[in-house]
Amino acid sequence: MNVSAIKRALWAYHINTGSCNGCDIEILAALTPRYDVERFGIMLVGSPRHADVLLVTGPVARQMAPRLKRVYEQTPDPKVVIVVGNCGSEGGVFYESYNLVGPADQHIPVDIYVPGCPPRPEAIIEAVAKAWVKLEKAAEK
Amino acid sequence: MSILGLGYSPWSPIFWLLAFVVVTIMAYFFRRRGQKKYKKDTAQTKVFLCGEEVPEAKQRHIRAHNVYWGFFETMKEYYEANMKTHTGIINDYIIWFLVLIAISAIILFIVGIV
Repeated sequence: MNVSAIKRALWAYHINTGSCNGCDIEILAALTPRYDVERFGIMLVGSPRHADVLLVTGPVARQMAPRLKRVYEQTPDPKVVIVVGNCGSEGGVFYESYNLVGPADQHIPVDIYVPGCPPRPEAIIEAVAKAWVKLEKAAEK
Repeated sequence: MSILGLGYSPWSPIFWLLAFVVVTIMAYFFRRRGQKKYKKDTAQTKVFLCGEEVPEAKQRHIRAHNVYWGFFETMKEYYEANMKTHTGIINDYIIWFLVLIAISAIILFIVGIV
């Protein structure tokens, strides 16, 4: 994999749109010493203004829909959106809930889906690696 | 840089000028390293407030008046009574002035000072 086009490390912003926290814990697990994605420069940041990747968890609750859209718009281009978990991908066990307006791809363009309830940290890391390749291609253009 | 050895360097304008130049160069250096590819006049330039819509400046600033909220709440009755007299009309203030002068004069006359 050629990773020379992007001069700096890949930074991700995590937004929870109503998740049960299962996927959020797995994202954090990817940062623990067992997986330690920060050794590759992949890290979570506190603002979408600094991010290259949006990690979206949760089935998009009604109150979170405009916030999700706003955070997406505030992320600088080029960006990649990764939906982590079944809920954000297709509603998961909550898909019939009256208070959901998801899944995430009905509000923002999604590039990569990571299925699972919750997905394993390895799957999340692989998705971020794919995002990196996508950003490389965008940077080369 | 003998100026630093004089003992009054914090008050020297040259010292301040040098500090200003150093800080300006540092600020310029950090600003140059910032993100340049953002799209102007889009949400990418707006303030990030955890996804919330940023309210008007008037609404998001806490005014100094709010600090005294407890004080005003406790003294509410006193202030309400006093504020009724403060109409903002100069004629009312002159009437108050004349009435108080008249009352003072009567009291002084009765007591026998005048």
